[in-house]
Amino acid sequence: MADRRRINGPPAGTRPPVYASLKESKTGVSERTLRQRQPTELRKFYLKTGMIPTASGSSYLEFAPSAALAAARSNPKSLIPPSSALKVACTVHGPKPLPRSVPFSPNLLLTTHVKFAPFAARKRKGHVRDTTERDLGVHLETALRGAIIAERWPKSGLDITLTIVEAEDDRWWGDAPDSHDASWGMLNVLAGCITAASAAIADAHIDCLDLVSGGVAALVSDDASTAPRLVLDVDPAEHRSIQSACVVAYMPARDEITELWLKGDSSRAALEKSDGRTGHEALIDGAVDAARGANTILTDAVRESIARSFAQV
Amino acid sequence: MASSATTGNPMPPSLSMPPSQFARLQPHAYLRAHLSPPSSDQPSVRANGRATSQFRVTSVNTGSLTHANGSAVVRIGDTTAVCGVRAELLHTSDISSWGVSQAPSKQNPTNTNEAKDSKSEDEDDQGQIQDLNLLVPNLSLSTGCAPGLTPGAPPSALAQSLSHQILSLLHTTNLVRADDLRIWYQPPNFDSEEFHNPGEGMEVDTEQSGGPEREIKAFWVLYIDIMILSMAGNAFDAAWASVLAALRDTKLPNAWWDDDNETILCSDDFAEAHRLTLRGLPIASSFCCFEGDAAAGWRANVIPDAEEQKKKKGSQQKWILADPDGYEEGLTQERACVVVDKENGKTIIVKMEKHGGWNVDSDDLRKLVDVSSQRWDDLKQALEQC
Repeated sequence: MADRRRINGPPAGTRPPVYASLKESKTGVSERTLRQRQPTELRKFYLKTGMIPTASGSSYLEFAPSAALAAARSNPKSLIPPSSALKVACTVHGPKPLPRSVPFSPNLLLTTHVKFAPFAARKRKGHVRDTTERDLGVHLETALRGAIIAERWPKSGLDITLTIVEAEDDRWWGDAPDSHDASWGMLNVLAGCITAASAAIADAHIDCLDLVSGGVAALVSDDASTAPRLVLDVDPAEHRSIQSACVVAYMPARDEITELWLKGDSSRAALEKSDGRTGHEALIDGAVDAARGANTILTDAVRESIARSFAQV
Repeated sequence: MASSATTGNPMPPSLSMPPSQFARLQPHAYLRAHLSPPSSDQPSVRANGRATSQFRVTSVNTGSLTHANGSAVVRIGDTTAVCGVRAELLHTSDISSWGVSQAPSKQNPTNTNEAKDSKSEDEDDQGQIQDLNLLVPNLSLSTGCAPGLTPGAPPSALAQSLSHQILSLLHTTNLVRADDLRIWYQPPNFDSEEFHNPGEGMEVDTEQSGGPEREIKAFWVLYIDIMILSMAGNAFDAAWASVLAALRDTKLPNAWWDDDNETILCSDDFAEAHRLTLRGLPIASSFCCFEGDAAAGWRANVIPDAEEQKKKKGSQQKWILADPDGYEEGLTQERACVVVDKENGKTIIVKMEKHGGWNVDSDDLRKLVDVSSQRWDDLKQALEQC
C-alpha cells in the first residue's frame, strides 16, 4: 500500500537507468582504481562540531574523496562515480526528562536513529527505516553505551540521530556480487557514525569515560593467487575481493573496546612468520590502530568545541 | 542556622537578569522591546540584529553529492536544507492508461517540429507531469533538526505540508519542461525500404510518406528529496531554494530505446548528458507579522463598529519581519509567503499566500512584493555563483 503521508511516484514504480555496454565506452569508467595508500595509511577526514545550533550537540563528518573520485569531480567524464565518500550529520538532543509513560530508569536512556538519505547510495533508499538502518542503530548504541556515564542522569533520555547523506560502496560498482560478498560498506558507515556521535556527545557536554572512536581493518586479496593481506581503513571500491573485515569502537585512554563487529573468514591471513597472532587477532589489532588514528582528529574537534563554548561564556 | 545563613549573605538578590533569560521568560515583551525604536526617526532592529526587511546570509553549494543527478546544499542563516535529485525511468508500457489517454496529435512529430505557440505546450506539459507524477518531491524533517521533532516517526503535519507546497509550486510554475523528461523513439520504416531504393533519400521518404510515427517510449521521473539538517525557522524558503539549485544542477544521461533488448539504455558519457532547461527562476520569500499587542485583534472582532475597529487598527503596532528565525516564528501567528520571478526586469508574482491574521493589508503586501523582488536579485546572484 502506498504511503499516504508522502508523495509517491508513479503507481507502477520506476526503473533505475541501465547503462549501455561500458566496455566500448570512451569515458574509461570500466577500469577499477586500486588503492593508492599504504596498507597502514588512513584516509583523511573532516570533522566539525556545532554545525546545527538547534541541537544540544551536533557534528558533521566527511571522508576525503579518493583520488579517482576527486579527479572525476574536477574533470567529469562519466556519469558513474568511481567511488563514494562518507558524509554523516549527527545531532544529539538531551539529556531531557523522560515522558511520564516511560517507567523509572536510574540511568540515562540512549536512543539512536540511523537514517540513510534517499540519495545516499547507488540504489535509491526508501524514506522508511529498513532493517540495515535499524541494525546499525543497535550497533551504534552498544558502542556508545559503554562510553557514557549513564548513572549521572537518572530519569532522562538522550536522542542521537545520524543522517547518512552519502554512504560508502559495498564493492566496486562494476563487480557482480560474489560468494565473499557482504555489505562491507556498512562497517565503514558504522565507524564513521561512532566517531561523529562521539564528537556530538562531547559537544553536548555529556560526561563520558573517554572519547570513543571507530576504526575499520580488512583482509583483502587483490589477486586470487596470494593470501589476503591486512589493510587499515579499507575502501571496498578499491579492492577486488574482501575476505574479512572488522570494525571496533575503541577508547584509547582506557584501552577498551566497546563494540566489535567482525565479518567474513579471517583464517587465511598472510602475516609475517615471526607474527604469532591469528588472523582475527591481527584484524582486531588493525582496527584498533585505525580507531587510534581517528581519535587524534576527534580530540582536535572536541577541543575546538570546548574552546567555542568557553568563548560564549 | 537558617537565620545566620540569610544574615551572612551581604548582597541583596539582584533584580536584573541577563537578556538571554529575559528572552526565555518574556519572549513577546523581549521582541517588542527590541523592535520599538528609542526615537521615532530610528529604524527598528530585531532581537537577532537584523533590520525588519533584512534576510539572513544565504549560501548555496551545488553538485557535492556523488550519487545524485543534481544536488544542492542551501544554508539560510542556521537553517540548512540538502536536496538531491535522482532520475529514474518510467516506461510507457508500465503506465496502465497509456495509449488510451494519449491523444495521437501529441505524439505527432510534425507538431513538435513546428514553431507552435508556447501556451498549448505549457498546458500539455503540465498535464503530463501532473498526471504521470513525474516530479516526486519529499521533504524530511526527521533528522533531529529541531528538538520537538522525533526522529523515526512518520512525517509530521509540517513536513507533509511543506512537501505538498513544493509539489504544487513545481506544478503551477511549470518549472520543469515535460519535453526534457521524454524519451522519444523513431521506429524504422520498413515499408518504405521495400519499395524505394534504401541507399538514398530514405530519411526524406520516412518523413514524407509518414511511416510509423515517432513515439514516446519512456519518461524520466525526478525524485526530489529534501533533508532539513538544521531547522531554525523559515524552512520553506530554504527547501525551495535547494530544490531550485538542485534542479539547475541536474544532468540527465542521454537515453534511447534499444529495440533488440526492448529496454531503455543510457550513455554514461558526461558530454552527452543534458541539463534541464527550467522555465524562469521563481524565488520564495517568507514573512511573518509580529503584533505589538497580541490580544488587540480579538477585542476588535467582538465590537462590530467598523470605525472604531479602524482606529484601533491604526494604533495597533505591528512589524512585518522578513525571513523569520525560529524564535520569531514561535511568537507570530500571521504568515505571508510571496514567490516572485523576474522577466526582462519586470516582476511577476507567481504565488502569494497569507494566513493567520488580518494585520497585513494590501499596501503591506505591495511592499512585500518589492522586498521579494530585491530578494530575487540577491538569491539569483547566490545561485549563479555556485
